Parts: sequence; C-alpha cells; structure tokens
Amino acid sequence: MGLELTASNIVKRFGERELFSIEQLQVQEGESLHLSGDNGVGKTTLMKILAGLDKPCAGRINVTPNMKGRWSTSLHPKVIYLHQTPYVFSGSVKDNIAYGLKLKGISRGQIKRTVQSALEWARLEEFADHAAHSLSGGEKQRLALARAWVLTPGLLFLDEPTANLDKQSVDSVTELVRKMVDGGAAVMISSHQTNPLTEVCQRSLLLADGKVSESQFPKEMLFDA
Amino acid sequence: MQDNLLETSMLSLQLLFSLDAELWDIIGVSFRVSITAILIATLPAILVGFFLAMVDFKGRWMVIALFNALMAVPTVVVGLTLYLLLSRSGPLGDLHLLFTQPAMIIGQVALAFPLLVCMSHSAFQSIDKRAWETARTLGANCFFAVTTIMKEARFALLAAVLAGFGRIISEVGCSMMIGGNIMSYTRNIPTAIALETSKGMFAQGIALGLVLLILALLLNFTLASIRGKGRLV
Repeated sequence: MGLELTASNIVKRFGERELFSIEQLQVQEGESLHLSGDNGVGKTTLMKILAGLDKPCAGRINVTPNMKGRWSTSLHPKVIYLHQTPYVFSGSVKDNIAYGLKLKGISRGQIKRTVQSALEWARLEEFADHAAHSLSGGEKQRLALARAWVLTPGLLFLDEPTANLDKQSVDSVTELVRKMVDGGAAVMISSHQTNPLTEVCQRSLLLADGKVSESQFPKEMLFDA
Repeated sequence: MQDNLLETSMLSLQLLFSLDAELWDIIGVSFRVSITAILIATLPAILVGFFLAMVDFKGRWMVIALFNALMAVPTVVVGLTLYLLLSRSGPLGDLHLLFTQPAMIIGQVALAFPLLVCMSHSAFQSIDKRAWETARTLGANCFFAVTTIMKEARFALLAAVLAGFGRIISEVGCSMMIGGNIMSYTRNIPTAIALETSKGMFAQGIALGLVLLILALLLNFTLASIRGKGRLV
C-alpha cells in the first residue's frame, strides 16, 4: 500500500492573524508537487505542519499506512522535511549520513555500506571524512538529501532547496531530487519562483490569501531560470 | 616580612609534597563532597535548562529570571537558609543532617543548580532550532533528539559543569554554616583556609590555596584543549 498524506481543515494562526486555512490537501506516493507563493504566505509553516514538525491550530493530518514509532507522537518515519538551509550536525559527512540509520538500530556493517552508497549517490565521496560544517551551501544541500535518501522516505518536503545556490548546485540538487522521484518518493518542493528543480514537479499548488489552489499557469511561462 | 613570606611558602610546599595526612584529608573531603554535589546537580539542571530553552510556556521569563537571581545569592545566605531548615528545631531537624557531609552536599547542590541551569539554558539557546527539527525528522524520538542537542552543545555544557564545580569547591560560607568545619569529616579546603588564616597559621592555608589554584588551571586548560579540538574549521 502506497504512502498517502491527507490534511483536512488545517488552520494556522499567529495570535489574531490567520496565516492560512486549508480545507483539503492530499499527497500520494510518487507525486511531485511545487508549492508556490509569495514570501511570508506560510509555505514553510504549512510544510512543517504536514511533516509533523509544527502543530496546526485546528484540523488533522493523516498519513497512511501508519508507521509511527512507539515514542513518537507526531512524526511519521517515512515523512522527512528538509530545511531551506540544512542543519548539519557536528562531525563528519559520514557521521551525518549515518545519523538516521543509527537510530534504526541497523548493524554497523550495513550502516557502513549504506553510507558509502549514499556518498556515491550524492557525489560526496571526496568529502566523506570532512567536517560537515566545512561544506559549501550546495554540498550541504546534497548532504541533507543523502541523509534523507538512506532512510528511503515515502514523502519528502523540500523547503526552498535551491535558494541561494548557484546554477551548478541547482542542477546537482535537481538531479538528486529527480532520482528520488524516479525511485517512487513523493516530493513537495516549496519555492516562490520556478527553476529547473520545480520543473521536476507534475502538480503545481499556489498558496495565496490563506488558501491553497491548483496553479493553472503553464510551466513554460513560469520558467525563468 | 619578606623572609616570613618566603618561609611560609616553603613550609606550605613541604606540607603538600610530604603528603601531610591532615592536609590531604581536607583535600579529600573537599573533592568527595563537591564531586558528589556536581554529579547530583548536573543532569537535572541541564534538563531544566533544556526545557527553559526549548519549551514555550506562560511565565517562562519569570522562571529564567528567578534562576538568574538564585545564581547571585551569596553562599552564606544559602547556608543560613539550610541551617534553619536542618537545625534541630527546623522542619528537617529530625533528619539529623546538620554538620554532616550530606548537608554540605545538599548545600553545594543548591549553589550549583541555578548556575548550571542558567549556563545550560544559554548553551541550548545558542543551538539552532533546526537541529531539533532535523533530529526529529530523521527519526529521533524526543529522548534521542535531546541527547543530539546535548551533543551539539557539549562544549558549552562542559564549561557550565566546570564553572559549577569551580563555584562549589571554592565556596566557604555555606560549607562553614552547615558543615561546621569538623576535622576529618566536614573540613574542606575553603573552610580550612579560613580557619588557619584566623589562627595566623598561613602555611596550610597557602598549600590549600595552591591546590585550588592548580585545580582552576587544570580545569580551564582541559576545557580550552577540548574546545580547540572541537573547532569548526
């Protein structure tokens, strides 16, 4: 059974101000969505709510099949959110990739092999033992993707992943995201502008005036890379 | 006067290196009590610091302000409060803890706790919120996410523990009031220095002062060397 996320009647307010109110939003396995909208409309907040990292003021999010861990109350192990500027833990690139695997209780040998595959997948082999903090913005973004890839996510939220990246880095990130989509993962990419990465997406959603709607603009017109 | 100072200093070194039983007994009491106190205080204080940094609740700023105020309370005031609680006529008098090492440990825990809370709160505050979110989204439950954040803040937390240890091993007011300065039982380095100085016997005081000075240097060099190895680039 494929992963399916359904958000119903999601409302988020900050004090008296209502950021958004969304009646229904559904993401299914294999789908790729581009969430667009101006700065400050709540794209990041919405994605964090969908990923379980933030709580809505009202409404519910349902992810099927339910695979929540014993101690987890809000996060689905197959749903992963990636920040606009990834946070890298202290330690090496390898350590960062192995982070989620160690939590799963996988054997050392298996972790080593998976980390090596991830390094090759993200073309980070030469940085394997480098301090993760020393990577450039584009390399950190690739590291964040590799760190998620090893956990075989069913749904990946990418928050403005190409903001502040040069063209080469955007192309590298696009290639990795495309590979993940081809591998069957659903992705939702937030971006206030279109670029080669958003071209990967099949559906386009627009968050404006506190509502989400299907965007009708042809990609060719929006594309400005 | 200069000859006197030199003579006393030589005598203090002689006491230290001749492994004078009385002197090393005092050093032993000091370390036993302070290490126990810091071990008891550290984990709960760090967790309180974490809670204050990460969880938004009504009145949080008041709790933080309260811990900041407690950090500045003079040691004799903490000693006096505990004395009143532990003395025979006090509410905890039946425990017969006054003038015992457990009483000194309680006092030192009370002194170290606010300092550890405030310093660990600052340490956690300096950690990016994304660290918590990244840990959680990569599958860490709350317990493992907390340990991840602690690891990220480890140098600042270590500095907090060393600062807390430095405060309690060198405090005199609280130990004097609730420890009673009993030889071979509750006499620690600061209370011994105060007593010997009041008697005009400076050699033992200087020797014990040297121990505290060496300890301070050791702790700070250790911290500096660990920080150096953990540099970002």
